[in-house]
Amino acid sequence: MTKTSGGVEVEGTVIECLRNATFKVELQNGHTVLAHISGKIRKNYIKILPYDRVLVELSPYDLTRGRIRYRYRA
Amino acid sequence: MNSAHFTSSTGNHAVVVTRVSDTQWHALEDDLVVGRGDASRRPDGRLFISIDAWHGAVFDRIADAMLTDLPTPLYTVADEADQDSTSAWERAGFTAVRREWGYRVPTDPKVTGLGSVRPPSGVTIVPAGEAEEGPLRALDSIVRDEVEAAVGWQTMPAEVLPRPAGTSVLDPSKYTVARHLDRYVGLVRVAPLTRQPRIGLIAVRADRHRRGIARALLAHALGSLHRCGTAAAWAEVNESNAAATALFEGIGARRAGSTVEFVRR
Repeated sequence: MTKTSGGVEVEGTVIECLRNATFKVELQNGHTVLAHISGKIRKNYIKILPYDRVLVELSPYDLTRGRIRYRYRA
Repeated sequence: MNSAHFTSSTGNHAVVVTRVSDTQWHALEDDLVVGRGDASRRPDGRLFISIDAWHGAVFDRIADAMLTDLPTPLYTVADEADQDSTSAWERAGFTAVRREWGYRVPTDPKVTGLGSVRPPSGVTIVPAGEAEEGPLRALDSIVRDEVEAAVGWQTMPAEVLPRPAGTSVLDPSKYTVARHLDRYVGLVRVAPLTRQPRIGLIAVRADRHRRGIARALLAHALGSLHRCGTAAAWAEVNESNAAATALFEGIGARRAGSTVEFVRR
């Protein structure tokens, strides 16, 4: 887990793609969060699929929500 | 760098939007980054922006700052299913100009019906990795010129946008090619992503259209993926591209999402 100027970032694994452009991500600590894709990932047409390992920035307002900031290469 | 102060709807703390570099904006609340904006220029010269914020009010302020700092037209993309995002861009004065369907493309010949498809007479398929780079580069250049002279690259998915002259990168291992006599007349590029390969470009020379070359290229490329154990590939198609839509839907591809391109002029 790393602390950035924007909040806590945690690695996790995408376990489900939901219908409303959100993803269920299981974090390394076993918790599950709902995450959106960051605008930068969207802009670069990076596709997120189940089992992808990703870096999630947790919302400082709601720790069950997050934003996928990076997809690691398989 | 430019700064703009305002009170966010998230509380009584002042949020400051600051341009931290030529291409990045941060919204800060109590020294915590609560939103980011980013701008980047695509190879075709268009300026695309993105904004990430936890609250709509912060999104709006970052958008205001970026719109003040940057020249128009500005472009962005959003998942059509993400209502929060699409409405936020509309609030910022952006309008939808283009939609891309994302297709999940089956590879099994029993599903695609491509098992018995053969190239038209005189055309042979050169498997991925066996194309010669010189003729492949020549075909790539012809195809790009034809697209530019017809519908234009702005109607194409970002994946196939051209790069500035002389910098185009061609990796023959990704290309399956159709050859007629001594020249290449069509190509399909498949990015070998582990879980879902991506069909990045499929194109046939204009003087060779409507002969079944694209279907033959897809039959070969998808058949190869199927034999390697890959069940499906991914492709993006501009909704106005009737030929590509018919090609993919005709082999059983299913729409699995859509991306909307917005512009503010």
